[in-house]
Amino acid sequence: MKQPLPHPPAWLDRILEWFVAEDLLEEIQGDLHEAYQDRAQTNGKQKAALLYAKDVLKFFRPYAFEKYSAARQFLPMAGNYVKVGLRNILHRKGFTTINLVGLTLGMSAVMLIGTYLHHELSYDQQADHHEQVYRLMNHYRDQVYACMPFPDYYQTSEEDQFRLINQISGYEEVQNACHFVPSQSAIGGGDQFFVEIGTRKIIAENLLFTNTAEAFFSLFPMTFLQGSSYQIDGDQRIILTESSARRCWGDSWQEQNLIGSTLLVQGEEFEVMGVIEDVPGNVHYDFDWMIIQRQIPSWGAYTYLQIKEGSELESVMDRLNAEIDLVYPGYKEDILSKGVIPIQLQDIHFTDGNLYELKPVMKPAYLTTIGLIGAVLLLIILINYTNLSIAMYADRQAELGIRKALGAMRRDITSQLVAEAVILALLCFPACWLILAMAISPFEELMNIQLFGISQALPWTHLIVLFGLLFMTGLISGLYPGLVYGRKTLLTLISPNKSRQPLKRFFSLRRVLLTSQMGMVIILISVTWFIRQQIQFIETMDLGFEQDGVVYFDIPGVEKYDLLKAELEQMPEVAAIGANGVPGSEMFNQLTFKLKGTDDIFSDGTEEYIDAGTFRALKIDCPVCEELEQGKSQVFLINRTAAERLAGVKGVEPEALIGETIITEPEWENEEFGFGIPHQIDGIIDDYKYFSIRHPYQPMLISVFSDIDWVYTMVLNLQTDNWAESMKSIQKAYEGIEPERPFRATLLSDRVSQLYESEQRSGTLIIFLSIVALMLSLMGVSGMVSYVTFSRQKEIGIRRIIGASDTAILRLFGSEYAILIGVALILAIPIVLTLTDWWLEGFAYHIEPQIWAVIAVAVLITIPVQAIVSYWIRRVGKAHPVTALTQQS
Amino acid sequence: MKGLGYLEETILLLVLSMKEDAYGYSISKAYEEHMGKSISISAVHAALSRLEKKGLISSEMKGATATRGGRRKRMFTSTEAGIAVLAEIKASRQRLWNLIPPLS
Repeated sequence: MKQPLPHPPAWLDRILEWFVAEDLLEEIQGDLHEAYQDRAQTNGKQKAALLYAKDVLKFFRPYAFEKYSAARQFLPMAGNYVKVGLRNILHRKGFTTINLVGLTLGMSAVMLIGTYLHHELSYDQQADHHEQVYRLMNHYRDQVYACMPFPDYYQTSEEDQFRLINQISGYEEVQNACHFVPSQSAIGGGDQFFVEIGTRKIIAENLLFTNTAEAFFSLFPMTFLQGSSYQIDGDQRIILTESSARRCWGDSWQEQNLIGSTLLVQGEEFEVMGVIEDVPGNVHYDFDWMIIQRQIPSWGAYTYLQIKEGSELESVMDRLNAEIDLVYPGYKEDILSKGVIPIQLQDIHFTDGNLYELKPVMKPAYLTTIGLIGAVLLLIILINYTNLSIAMYADRQAELGIRKALGAMRRDITSQLVAEAVILALLCFPACWLILAMAISPFEELMNIQLFGISQALPWTHLIVLFGLLFMTGLISGLYPGLVYGRKTLLTLISPNKSRQPLKRFFSLRRVLLTSQMGMVIILISVTWFIRQQIQFIETMDLGFEQDGVVYFDIPGVEKYDLLKAELEQMPEVAAIGANGVPGSEMFNQLTFKLKGTDDIFSDGTEEYIDAGTFRALKIDCPVCEELEQGKSQVFLINRTAAERLAGVKGVEPEALIGETIITEPEWENEEFGFGIPHQIDGIIDDYKYFSIRHPYQPMLISVFSDIDWVYTMVLNLQTDNWAESMKSIQKAYEGIEPERPFRATLLSDRVSQLYESEQRSGTLIIFLSIVALMLSLMGVSGMVSYVTFSRQKEIGIRRIIGASDTAILRLFGSEYAILIGVALILAIPIVLTLTDWWLEGFAYHIEPQIWAVIAVAVLITIPVQAIVSYWIRRVGKAHPVTALTQQS
Repeated sequence: MKGLGYLEETILLLVLSMKEDAYGYSISKAYEEHMGKSISISAVHAALSRLEKKGLISSEMKGATATRGGRRKRMFTSTEAGIAVLAEIKASRQRLWNLIPPLS
């Protein structure tokens, strides 16, 4: 049986058939097919196909074309267009450079924004099945916890930790379920760990603990560089990321097979089961090491499930909530437990307000703002480039007229202008590429994100987008002059009526473009100004406690605290030592409380257990605390917000509450007190900003002990000139008492400013973008002004001869722009106020945007614009009046 | 006398030498074989087209094969004018070569 002959790729044939003339097709295609067969026999089908493609490409020459096809018509002229285009660039180097520099900078900025937006919008969507993955969250009291608790919290046995997982895995709609706890999460302890490889010891943070590793990799597939997700079994195992492997074994880690090696983590042995790629920046969790062991060291875990394709989540959740008592006995009876709620994986990154969330969430408002700014930038670029193109071709009208005389049709003129604009725009491509490559690292640092992996290379998809953007810019901005000049009649082109009286039509396109551009710049700069103001406001706001010199660190347990305290008291720089109570926290666990004898229960209380030293360290006034020194073992204080609220309930003055009793957790039935825990109010303390100023003051219930028995943080107030020295002594003292856990101290001021990190970052980004927009606009304005002034040379010349001074001419020309800016200002003000209000919504305490600031911005912009106008007028005016008058215009 | 480029001349010679079997692909193979350099089929086709326009060769479509998917070949033969031009070129070259002392 004869084998069927192999065929060259059909799509190549289709291309060939498209452009080759009908009468030549048969012989050409026949020859190529024959050649393909020969090569397939000698060199194999792949090589033959490749050579076939080359052949097809090479036949793309005028000789072969269809007689009247578009290709045949355009291509012969293409050479001429390129030549003329280049010639024009060379004749107007300065002009073109400004144009292209503006385009390059602007387009790079737009690309950066686009990349950033894509990064944020694609969070957690790497897996194909990501839409079927959900996280379970616990609605308790008034808050939604991002993690689910274990039935007995810290006391839960190994098997019982799996209760929830087993329950949901049993449902037929559920494909798989897993849970984990990252050490850096709010419930993970935030510790650092000593890792030993052989004789080397390194400090590791960012561990992920799980006892459902197999399920984890099923829900969150990751690329294994060594080992595979199908070979995860046993416990006391560890999986490393690329970076961790490199830290442990150096750059040559890839050459060794690390599977089976042993590491010690905090003294315990773990066997390496695999090495995975670094966790990408756009997932909602992060870890550098994965510890697989039988029991998760926390009171709960972040729990996820994957439903089968085609299944509905609702039935799973209904069933779970109905049977929840099987997992948590007594859950349904507890009035504080409001149910288990799901959240889809890709929504996690955009949902604000979940307690103990793993990573800072992105406010959709920010993304929209930045996206809008990107769109605005793109618009500015387009407007600029269009304006400048129009100006460029104004002088070439004679050339276009001659082309028409020689037989060019309207379509040819249009294609020429469009082609030139596109080629010019594409010239920016290499420069944009370079700028982007250089800008990625600083941008990543600024926004604290990781856009691309270790390679830091721009993926080719981005380059294609860049190319496309430049192409479209050239296309759009070339179309306007292309169509306008294409339509002009031959006579108009050759001897144009260049009367440049002030435009009779007020709403000319040029004016509209310029006004919108100015408007956008005013908006951007004003909004930037307000954002900066708000950030400054945040930073300098009086929070009610001292930040200077205050430092804190974790210390496990009261014995070590007492020992260390005794030692540090000897140091003269240590002005105060306290336990717990460090402000500058994100919202956490809230408490129910009520006044004894009343029925109103509030659920937003915050409880603190501290010793008086903390107030001393934070310089918070506490006269009641003196009672501790006189022998009292503890005092119970409430802050002014709590006091005023409770006083309102009872209808008395806040001070009258002293001596009254508060009951916390009144719904908790217990043997000792009946309901809840009673505390007698010993005093009222002034409000201080314990949480970030995004939230208004929260009611606080503070127990201050003279001899505290539960300590997890030590707070110090240091008064010293030599910070490094003092810290070293403190570290030494600490290490003498606690050799196992690494010493890590944080400045209170750092902690506080960290709360506003995302605002600061986006603020900086927006400032930077505004600067770019301003520069682009000024460049565009400069181009426009130069064109207009040059075309009014004659008029300027005549005015000067008659005797007008430079200032008078400046006033005449400049007034047009001043009016346009005024119009832009009026249109901009409402937009600025709306956008600023939007951005400030996230803050309970914020500035009030002032209108005069927007006006000031507009006035400030007028200055460089007038400077540009005066520069060009002087340039034009420098020419001898006679020369100006005799200009062919 | 019509101007004849170097490639055109070479291809004309090949057409003459191949008698019955001269078409695009076979000529390109012969070129590679005799000249030792590779050439694209499109260059050959273009040159053949130019030669035909100058009247130095003539063609007809024949010889379909299965390998070509049933497509015919355009087979070329040189015309009298073509032979005459080649003869003239050869003669004038020879005259020039005679002027040069023998290369060792």
